[in-house]
Amino acid sequence: MTGKIAIIGAGPSGCFLAQALLKAEPGLQVDLIDRLPVPYGLVRYGVAADHQGTKAVTRQFARLFERQGAGYYGNVGIGSDVTLDALRSAYDAVVLAAGLSADRALAVPGGDLPGVFGAGRLTRALYEHPEAEALPDLGPHPLIVGNGNVAIDLLRLLAKSPDELEGSDLGQGPTDWLAGSGIEEITITGRSPAAAAKFDTVMIKELGKLSGVAIRVIGAGESDDPEAQKKLDALKALEGGAGPRRITFRFGLTPLAVDGPGRAEAVRFATTDGEERLPCTSVLTAIGFDTPGDLPRDALLTEESGGRLAEGLYATGWFRRGPRGTIPDNRADAKALAERILAELRPDPSRPGADILQGRDHTDYDGWCRIDSAETANPPPGRCRAKITTREEMLSLARQEDMQ
Amino acid sequence: MNIQVLYGTETGNAEMLAEDIAAELEADHEVTAVNLSDFDPSAFDAGTLYLLVCSTYGDGELPASAQPFAEKLEAKAPDLTGVHFGIFGMGDSEYDETFNGGPKTLAELMIARGATQLGARIAHDASGAEMAEDLAFPWAEEIVGMAGDALGQAA
Repeated sequence: MTGKIAIIGAGPSGCFLAQALLKAEPGLQVDLIDRLPVPYGLVRYGVAADHQGTKAVTRQFARLFERQGAGYYGNVGIGSDVTLDALRSAYDAVVLAAGLSADRALAVPGGDLPGVFGAGRLTRALYEHPEAEALPDLGPHPLIVGNGNVAIDLLRLLAKSPDELEGSDLGQGPTDWLAGSGIEEITITGRSPAAAAKFDTVMIKELGKLSGVAIRVIGAGESDDPEAQKKLDALKALEGGAGPRRITFRFGLTPLAVDGPGRAEAVRFATTDGEERLPCTSVLTAIGFDTPGDLPRDALLTEESGGRLAEGLYATGWFRRGPRGTIPDNRADAKALAERILAELRPDPSRPGADILQGRDHTDYDGWCRIDSAETANPPPGRCRAKITTREEMLSLARQEDMQ
Repeated sequence: MNIQVLYGTETGNAEMLAEDIAAELEADHEVTAVNLSDFDPSAFDAGTLYLLVCSTYGDGELPASAQPFAEKLEAKAPDLTGVHFGIFGMGDSEYDETFNGGPKTLAELMIARGATQLGARIAHDASGAEMAEDLAFPWAEEIVGMAGDALGQAA
């Protein structure tokens, strides 16, 4: 089968979709479009710097471009460089796989005070996203609101000692920031009871390897469900340690307000035993993600059914499903959507496809390879990569070949 | 030699490696790569060498595509006497407690039904420096060499 399919977002969901499409129908032209010059989205900027094994999926994605004939069009903003309507006219099908990159706000009084930071804002800065804000001062006692895997990633990175970051791709700036953070104590709070906490047991077990911490788990409780009990056992096994950084797990705390006045100084929670106030020096929210607003997600998803939004328009991954599920969960979603798209595809050879992107200031896969080589050629000791951190430098490296 | 590379995968990494192994061996053998989720355990055949490639998921569990296979193997309880297999595990030592739990479980299930494991269970570490294929290709050649003798005796 021939046909032209554009996928907006070259993160894991978009790449897995392209893979499934091209595996089933190698004759398709599948183009991945990303607003950043570099591909892989969440794998590069969301998966933790010390989880390099998880990032190994990019070896599969590289094959899309090297062997399966997929096209890469980076540095292309939807709306700013090309409209969604123009793409829909140029391609037989368009798939929104742009993910969800904005932090969901903590919707309580004081939730927008200085000193309240979203997990995405912090991890983007830690992982050197070109549009990240600067790493802020968290003070000696940050308090994390949320108990999903993102919250645990953040906790683990903040709690690690410098030698525990060996082999990661954490950059020099973030490394120095962590080493000088002055964090003495981290409290992590979840709304649900521990048995219903969203983090994976394996993420909790990993915390057991931290050397510089003393961990307390308050109110974990028991469960009749064996899977939940495994989670509770893993949590309880963390207790103890004599490191200088104190970590406290708390559960069943529903945020009511962040107390100021000028800056976050405490969070007040509702508990089954009444109100409780926990002092802190900053509040880190890890309570889910939302669209950054570049695509009108709510309007687009109104008719959504099994990944189909309208004729020739589809969505997959977090953009469709919301901020839930791991990379493999979204792979399964992408594979299912690929079958549906192939069943519904009506190729029209007169559609121009990627021709409408030509002449624009985009990066291609060869350009990404030049950036990748520059990043991995000579990393500092204890690091596997030194990321290029600005869009300008990425673009200049990506174009080097063209300029010669 | 007839060879089937059976893979259990969650992220697709084991699938890619299984396909690479099949491509590496196909010049000299009849090779197919098959997802464990599409393989019927009663179809095991003593005249075929099975190369199992399996990852680990979650807390040391079998990956999604190996789980239906494991369930069928338990339910149908085929006698795998005379069936020879090698097993290659893909894991991540970041999670050291459960490192390569999936392939260990899979090998035990096969052996419990009477199958014979050739060679040691190899474990690739996604957080290590080595590429999976750099370990897997020599492993596959070695198992194929051992199987030449073993399958010959069975026949």
